[in-house]
Amino acid sequence: MPVLTADRVASALRAGASARLLDDVPPRHAEGDAVAARNINTAGHTRVPRYVRGRRGTVVRDHGVFIFADAHAVDGQRKPQHCFSVRFEAHELWGEDATAKDAVYVDLWDDHLDPLR
Amino acid sequence: MNGAHDLGGMHGFGPIDPDPEEPVFGDEWERRAFAITLAMGARGDWNLDMSRHARERMDPSAYLASSYYEHWLHGLALLCVEKGLLTVEEIEARESAMRTEEQR
Repeated sequence: MPVLTADRVASALRAGASARLLDDVPPRHAEGDAVAARNINTAGHTRVPRYVRGRRGTVVRDHGVFIFADAHAVDGQRKPQHCFSVRFEAHELWGEDATAKDAVYVDLWDDHLDPLR
Repeated sequence: MNGAHDLGGMHGFGPIDPDPEEPVFGDEWERRAFAITLAMGARGDWNLDMSRHARERMDPSAYLASSYYEHWLHGLALLCVEKGLLTVEEIEARESAMRTEEQR
């Protein structure tokens, strides 16, 4: 991991740090696709909240290629891949008592999602 | 990990009611915790996601009973120990010395 030297501190703080990558990686999912969040129970870091694991959703936006946080937290591997906004209906997450119009949008990576056909 | 940080969907925490006038830092030590965490991150010994995972590994009962920047300080201390920059004994000795100073 790069060291931030004193001469670059001011510009780095102004610019902020982005996890977006320029790698040309093909997406495994597309907007409109039905997907299921993987049932990940790692002792490491994951961006998949418990309440969406194993649940079905729909890809609504492809944000582009980003550092895969789950791998990055373990050993610094960037594992570049697409990150998507996935819509989960409240019914799917919270059962029949949830209101029909509510939904939760979660940003999830390619490695978090399986296609549903 | 299935830690205490993963609160989504849990009952019992009450409504989310943010104060529109909420200051960026509630106390001076929080400003320092933020600055020290960023400064130590600049060494390049770990990345942002490793910092998040360090906070997640806090003891669950302590996590729920402490504030946002306490999580930050805990995570930073854990990473410093794991990377060999500090020892637990050094941190405890400093905490003890600061408490003694406060009591004067």
